Amino acid sequence: MLARWEGLLREVIAIPGVRGAALVSVDDGLVVAEAAMDQLDGADVAALLAALVSRAARVTRTLPAAPPRMLHLAGDAGTLVAVLAESPLWLVALAEPGAEVGRLRVLLGDLAGAVA
Amino acid sequence: MTELPRSSRPATPAFLDLGERLRQRGQLEAAATVTVAGLGHYPTLAAGHDLLGRIRADQGNDAASEEAWRAAIACEPAHVGALKGLAFLAFRAHDFAAAERHLETAVARAPHDASLLAALDRVRAARPSAPVDESLRLDDPASGMLLCDADGMRVSGGLGQDRTAAAADAAAAETTGLLREAVRSARLLGLGGVKHLVVETADARLAVVPVRPGAALLAVRGITTPVGRLVATAQRSAAVAERWIEGLQ
Repeated sequence: MLARWEGLLREVIAIPGVRGAALVSVDDGLVVAEAAMDQLDGADVAALLAALVSRAARVTRTLPAAPPRMLHLAGDAGTLVAVLAESPLWLVALAEPGAEVGRLRVLLGDLAGAVA
Repeated sequence: MTELPRSSRPATPAFLDLGERLRQRGQLEAAATVTVAGLGHYPTLAAGHDLLGRIRADQGNDAASEEAWRAAIACEPAHVGALKGLAFLAFRAHDFAAAERHLETAVARAPHDASLLAALDRVRAARPSAPVDESLRLDDPASGMLLCDADGMRVSGGLGQDRTAAAADAAAAETTGLLREAVRSARLLGLGGVKHLVVETADARLAVVPVRPGAALLAVRGITTPVGRLVATAQRSAAVAERWIEGLQ
């Protein structure tokens, strides 16, 4: 299972400009699998994503709307895209400015179904 | 000339009324003389600069009228008359985007001004690529645009049709917390300052955009709305909101 997940993550980091990708459990903020996260602290990514998903869910509840299934945080110096795979697992990738974010969103969405 | 002390100023300086009457009679030189003299005493009076802008426009001096209206905006960032004037100049120069921007800011300040709404419709109709179905009404609870301040209070707008004010208040409270978390995450992950956060659910797309100083704008749309369009609309609304907030201060 772990090898298959790492294979999926390698597809993600093959997109130019992607700094790293991970499979994260947002219930406990832990990294389940990761790829090319050398310059990133996987534990930080997992914990911050867990907090973001939790906060986003609080907003969607007020609308009311279904729970979040994708987050896209765009900053001046990079982007985070995260997609719900098999709850509580989220696929998350970080990319540099200028990366093909549209392609990254689509690929993460496609791969999310393959995580289970 | 020196500005009159606050205690000795009338509520509406007489030169405004006199200058306007002279302008309407077509005595433009006299109107300009009176207004310029009045502005010598009231240099931060936006209405005075707005009047001078209209006089200069009647004289056919676009550069001088633009200068006057920009001075009015400097005194009062969301001055409706000056924004209308700048929109008029931009429209005449076929800069429809700028005209639309000025009018959107004015509409945010005066959402029930029929002349402004009509002008905005005219500008959008004249703009070939105008997103005609994306109205921008920050004060309209049905707009699906919610502006909240740094403390999580709703400033204007709402979540869309059939959504209550109570739901909008709750969303405002949570949106500020979400933006704060996004700012923290972006900083710790080396993503820099937050440009926007998009949240997608099975039935909705949301965009959260920071609005200086410390405020946030939440845009709520259906899942069929393209992400790029959602972000563009939210960012445009945030820019208008920013100028609107400046006008309130």
